[in-house]
Amino acid sequence: MPVVQLKCNLCIPERNKHTIVVDEDKSTLPKCNAPTVPGDLTERGCAYAGARGVVGGPVVDVIQMVHAPVGCAYYTWGSRRHLGDGYNWAMPGVLENEANHRRHCYCTDMQEKDVVFGGMDKLKKALLDAFEINKGAKGAFIYTTCTTALIGDDVGLVAKEVSKEVGKPVFACSAPGFCGVSQSKGHHEFNFQFYKWLMKLREEHPEVCLKEEDKTPYDINLIGEYNIDWDLLPVKPLFEKIGIRVLTAFTGNAYLDDLLRLPDAKLNVVHCQRSATYIAELIKQGFDVPYSRVSFFGIQQTAKALRETAAFFGDEAMMKKAEEVIQEELDAVTPALDWYRERLKGKKLAIYVGGPRVWHWIKAMEDLGMEVVACLTTFGHTDDYQKIVERVKPGTLVIDNPNEFEIEEMIEKTQPDLFLTGLKEKYLVRKFGVATLNSHSYECGPYSGFRGLVNFARDIYQAVAAPVWKIAQEEF
Amino acid sequence: MITEIKQIPVEGVKYKHLGIEKKPLTPEYVPPPEELVSKEKRTVCIDPSRTCMPIGAMWATLGVNRAIPFVQGAQGCTTYVRYTFARVFREPALIANASFHEDAAVFGGSKNLIHGLRNLVCRYQPSLISIVTTCSSEIIGDDIQGFLYEALDEMEAEMGPEIHDMVKFVIVNTPSFAGSHVEGYNRASQAFLKTLAKKSGQDSRDIYFIPGQMSTGDIRELKRMFSTMNLPFKMLFDISDTLDCPLTGMPKSVPYYPPGGTQVSDFVRAGDAEAIYSISPAAGSAGVKWLEKRYKVPGFINTMPIGVKNTDKLIKSISETTGRSISDEIRWERGILLDAMADCLHYTMGKRVAICGDPDFVSAATGFVCELGMIPTAILIGTKNDLAAETIKDVCDEYDHSPLILNDSDQFEWEYALKNDAPDVILGHSKCVNISKEIRTPLVRFGFPVYDRVGLQREPVVGYLGGERFLSRIINAILDHHYPDDRVHQ
Repeated sequence: MPVVQLKCNLCIPERNKHTIVVDEDKSTLPKCNAPTVPGDLTERGCAYAGARGVVGGPVVDVIQMVHAPVGCAYYTWGSRRHLGDGYNWAMPGVLENEANHRRHCYCTDMQEKDVVFGGMDKLKKALLDAFEINKGAKGAFIYTTCTTALIGDDVGLVAKEVSKEVGKPVFACSAPGFCGVSQSKGHHEFNFQFYKWLMKLREEHPEVCLKEEDKTPYDINLIGEYNIDWDLLPVKPLFEKIGIRVLTAFTGNAYLDDLLRLPDAKLNVVHCQRSATYIAELIKQGFDVPYSRVSFFGIQQTAKALRETAAFFGDEAMMKKAEEVIQEELDAVTPALDWYRERLKGKKLAIYVGGPRVWHWIKAMEDLGMEVVACLTTFGHTDDYQKIVERVKPGTLVIDNPNEFEIEEMIEKTQPDLFLTGLKEKYLVRKFGVATLNSHSYECGPYSGFRGLVNFARDIYQAVAAPVWKIAQEEF
Repeated sequence: MITEIKQIPVEGVKYKHLGIEKKPLTPEYVPPPEELVSKEKRTVCIDPSRTCMPIGAMWATLGVNRAIPFVQGAQGCTTYVRYTFARVFREPALIANASFHEDAAVFGGSKNLIHGLRNLVCRYQPSLISIVTTCSSEIIGDDIQGFLYEALDEMEAEMGPEIHDMVKFVIVNTPSFAGSHVEGYNRASQAFLKTLAKKSGQDSRDIYFIPGQMSTGDIRELKRMFSTMNLPFKMLFDISDTLDCPLTGMPKSVPYYPPGGTQVSDFVRAGDAEAIYSISPAAGSAGVKWLEKRYKVPGFINTMPIGVKNTDKLIKSISETTGRSISDEIRWERGILLDAMADCLHYTMGKRVAICGDPDFVSAATGFVCELGMIPTAILIGTKNDLAAETIKDVCDEYDHSPLILNDSDQFEWEYALKNDAPDVILGHSKCVNISKEIRTPLVRFGFPVYDRVGLQREPVVGYLGGERFLSRIINAILDHHYPDDRVHQ
């Protein structure tokens, strides 16, 4: 019987299909990508969060305009650690303290009268003001929310009008909070809408495309890499070292001009395969640019990503260089990783993040000798669960879209030494005497690539080895 | 650069090894057009010092024993709020969601509410559920009261008539486009009392307090003070334990419920109270006014007790209301604060200070800095509030200061004022960090939200002893920043 009956679901049987134990033949997958049960203490975010917080938010040199009452804008103001290096000046000679996309919070601050009479005029004026104030901005992204979608504001029209007036690109993303079943819908909407907008923009303004003479045979994009805590830094140079040019990431530390050239690459290398395979697929269909799926977490996977990318170009020298780089990287990290592996070997671990990172990290944790006892995702789809179930041992607990109570029961049942999870759940699970790590924005990253894995291992070790857990369990 | 290091040490990669170079987006500084600095003349809101109304109602609910807010909206409406509580208090926050998807947006949220309440009750057996509305449910026009009756009928059929005694339901209407988090709390204060309070006829000696959005440390300090006064009191919406809960090892049972919080029965008995105080007028006066009107419970609305005079006013008022004389302990505590003020006067006198935060925090803190001989320069009242502006003006008149007071603005305008005329120190929340670093002026963190330093949620700023702690923080920030080492030694 692969379905697990949790106590909290005795009266809510529709949740049972979402909680399984991986069976010997690995044939059962949890039900997923379904609406959340009302009344859940859900860990999911909304579609707006997926569009604004995850996919659009990391773009550095645009005005991130939230068309909403103040809250939706406030909560996405500098809260996600997608870092970037483009700064505006605070005053003469002093750069602002945070990069442009995280420093300020631009919104229309919708009031009751705007809700009654419509907010398009307000949005337009707000955007024009923002462009006047933020001279460093190369364009703007507009996000709608529940409020402005329900009152029917045509943000696309406003985007066009403002773009014409200021002569800079303006993209409107319509992904209100209630659309779809989770933030995953917001990723999806952003991808599709952005691509459609991009196509049109490139048609009307061919000058934004990468010129033929500026292209190289080895141009790639890193798709679905959001530069959380500078995750790009341990990864991008690996490609550069083997002679590959990274045009841009979609969308970590991305600049608008570079994003407009997305279709000019020879290959799209997709990291987060839940939130961004969409655009890679669209570019493949529209421009015949192939894409590959990779992971930059852990030794095995990063090495594989590098090898496969080099193999794609079929260049012998490049493949040889890739092996050299991999060896160089291994030499750099092996002693530190050995130190951690010795101390982490056999520790039990539960992983709960959005989607793909769960199966990326199952492999990465193998590199550290840890044992995965439970896997949970917020918005995984069937393909995510297939990969999870393939990669774990029979007997592993898998929960789709867990709520707070289910997480507690997971902890009770599996008794992990460590729980890789987000900020909200981290404080809950600590009450159970279990170590946790902020796996959404990291404790002290980057965690990606060969070198980032040492940071990841260090933070895991610190979490598990902290004396507090033992002291807390002692009789007093 | 990170990829140049020959061997990564066990400690991992340090920030300096990342080799991040800041790239300016324009060759040089371009000031914003003068006419767009003032919020009045601009449409875009940049850097609001306030957030949405529902979080205020959820905040209040989390201060009630075994109570769970049920948010009638999309999932983001709870998730963002739970992140915020996690950041500020470093604690979990139990908040349920109606899980609005397209069908709810089209057909209304009745199914979500009815199923949601039922699921929440059968899973958690809470003592109280607050139904917190959101922008979407208000725009759709959900008839929450009607849905609740229906939900109760269904729950009665399934779980028996005991359901009516087991769980209380309070509806709080909080469309974010009609006010901020402060107003959300204020509305909750009224909705809870309106729904729950009764008059039994048996008078109680209890004094009721609505603390507003004070941190856990502040509420604890007030409770300690009131206890030393032997005052019989009830603290409504008491988050001091629910959002500051000890680690004791594995809980004996699931689900996790934090201990503490105000008992529902204390709300029910509110009609019998001897008096009720709002000590954060913008977040709580609605509850006080309603209880006074409905049950003739004497209601008092006091400035937040930050600093000497503001605390004096509260203590004197309680003393008069209850006929108790002011105890020696309280006089001693007051003396400690005055002693600290005297010892530090050379550090505070004439120092120029900018303040930013929620109305009650800002208005009370302005009083305190004036008492310290400091000069307020630019004050941002995060949520428009005329009473706070009035209080600030009065105290500044008294001390002959004329700061810039922004009462319906955003941080952009306030920060610009600071750039043009840098103060010696800033009192504000964690969203003021950027301006503090940019103009190289120390920031003393207080109010909501503070998430980038640890332990401050436990450190009080209210009462005499809280004032002493606050004073020390202000001065230490000034010393760190403005005094070379050899001038600090005495």
